[in-house]
Amino acid sequence: MSDLDRQIEQLKRCEPLTETEVKALCLKAMEILVEESNVQRVDAPVTICGDIHGQFYDMKELLRVGGDCPKTNYLFLGDFVDRGFYSVETFLLLLALKVRYPDRITLIRGNHESRQITQVYGFYDECLRKYGSVNVWRYCTDIFDYLSLSALIENRIFCVHGGLSPAISTLDQIRVIDRKQEVPHDGAMCDLLWSDPEDIVDGWGLSPRGAGFLFGGSVVSSFNHTNNIDYICRAHQLVMEGYKWMFNSQIVTVWSAPNYCYRCGNVAAILELNENLESEFRVFEAAPQESRGAPAKKPPPDYFL
Amino acid sequence: MEPPADHLHHHQEPHSSVCAKCGGPAAFPTPPPPSDTPSYIPIRFPAVNLPPSPTNTRETIMRTPVPHAEKVEPLTLPHQFAAPSKRIRSPDDLATFHSSPSFRNFLGFVVSLSESTKSRKLSDPCHVSPAVETLVSILQKLTDFVDEIPPAPQTARYGNVSYRVWHERMSTEAEAFMLMFLPPQLRDATVEIVPYFTDGFGNALRIDYGTGHETNFAAWLYCLAKLGVVSEEDYQALVARVFFKYMELMRKLQITYNLEPAGSHGVWGLDDYHFLPYIFGSSQLIDHKYMKPKSIHNEDILENFCNEYLYLSCVVFVKKVKKGLFAEHSPMLDDISGVPNWKKVNSGLLKMYKVEVLEKVPIMQHFLFGSIIKWPE
Repeated sequence: MSDLDRQIEQLKRCEPLTETEVKALCLKAMEILVEESNVQRVDAPVTICGDIHGQFYDMKELLRVGGDCPKTNYLFLGDFVDRGFYSVETFLLLLALKVRYPDRITLIRGNHESRQITQVYGFYDECLRKYGSVNVWRYCTDIFDYLSLSALIENRIFCVHGGLSPAISTLDQIRVIDRKQEVPHDGAMCDLLWSDPEDIVDGWGLSPRGAGFLFGGSVVSSFNHTNNIDYICRAHQLVMEGYKWMFNSQIVTVWSAPNYCYRCGNVAAILELNENLESEFRVFEAAPQESRGAPAKKPPPDYFL
Repeated sequence: MEPPADHLHHHQEPHSSVCAKCGGPAAFPTPPPPSDTPSYIPIRFPAVNLPPSPTNTRETIMRTPVPHAEKVEPLTLPHQFAAPSKRIRSPDDLATFHSSPSFRNFLGFVVSLSESTKSRKLSDPCHVSPAVETLVSILQKLTDFVDEIPPAPQTARYGNVSYRVWHERMSTEAEAFMLMFLPPQLRDATVEIVPYFTDGFGNALRIDYGTGHETNFAAWLYCLAKLGVVSEEDYQALVARVFFKYMELMRKLQITYNLEPAGSHGVWGLDDYHFLPYIFGSSQLIDHKYMKPKSIHNEDILENFCNEYLYLSCVVFVKKVKKGLFAEHSPMLDDISGVPNWKKVNSGLLKMYKVEVLEKVPIMQHFLFGSIIKWPE
């Protein structure tokens, strides 16, 4: 068994890697990710997953429902980290699978795959608590800069974490972005990761999130027409039923974190596309208590020493 | 496509250096010198568009002193009030605020509130002034509004849009509420204190609530102290009556309208929404005969004493709304339960409030400055 296979087995048991192992894994992943396009080509059949947010045992439930990688070809739409207890283990497992089976799993960047956002929403604190230093946070956030920005399935379905940008009308405009950087506060790259479709908006609207835009049905119609695609698949917003079509099936939201933040009471979904691009949603609930391991006991936080 | 202008700016920022002759940017910036034995070699050095490094490292956490109580000196009248506005945009702005007397005095006020409730139950007798009674009655009215504005039927999103109706009604009534306790010579103060008040219950657009809003509510109480509406003898009642009522209202809003946690650290924060009740609540429990920090794991204690101690009521609420293992959904509270005594919990929480709330730009960019809490020029 290779080191990498052993690490994957270890991560599947929700046991984190050492700092040195994380660094080596990130360097290997970087070599693979740097070659990917900003609009990464993906073949069908493929299973599309939305936000995970460090809910490791729920992601294991997802893999149980959707099938193991590499048997199932996966596309994850970002937001692997923040808020949940196991962002480190979640992201490292996905990254290890990427290095082991680069053609069977595609990871694209979400708005939480950023140095600034992870400092506010938990991933930074988690690394500090679990490793006692921020090195693992640094390795991971450096690799975030290499994640692709979007994916295109069989030239028919455009996949992105957030949504569209007023600065983008063609896929070629996405292809020329220099993505290897921290997510900027505005501009095309930021919008792709932050924007939301909104029923009551016609055209473009200001986003209450403070980044990205709201966009209406006419924007989606025109984008899909210009780029000759069937529909857009995105994540980024909690939907209580796990998925939601909008604007006459021109865009769909997929959400894959059940009982988000241990509190929201929502179900999660993944979208399975077969070789003919026929779609089927698989809805699932949070992993039952008996299949979740107990967190290791930790000393009091540094504030209380 | 050309990269956005902002992007170019960020490219230059990390290594900008200055020409010795003209003071303009040098054409060939010098990269920072490499250290002899780097413990960490960045994959691409320097990373493009790099944000400022985190400030809450282990070293700063350990070195942060425990904040001290400070007296609040009432304003001298007459006084020119001003509509408050947001001033904090960058870590530098925040550093400016933190080194100012207004900051120390505001944090000192929070510490004073905490000390006023030390070793006291919520039901312990305390001085309740007419002004405090009015404050409680205002919060009761806002609680009644919730009953009159039921959540709208919806499935897709989490936050309920009826919260905006509640917020609108609260904002419309806010000035009249202030006039219920402001004496005639202080009526002009409404222009300044209403914005702190209305921001203290969450954001209507985003349908969210977090420690930033809670801080603005505390800033509103601080303004009332500066105005002389309340004085030091009222502090215990400010916690045990007013803040207690505020907590009841906020929980009702959170549950009824599914408020989203604003800027929450998820499981790695203390709580999705609140910080101050843990500070006040841990102070209440200092020197308690048998309740220790680990007592939060004792269901009997929680059940019997959650109505008397804010800290325990928070734990009960978290356990009610969250599913799963306590150690997984609330690791901070779980780890704090291993601290030997409540005094250490209280001082640690005060330090943590300063570093994790008051020193965070994403939270404090919404903090308001006027003539009472002055922006340091």
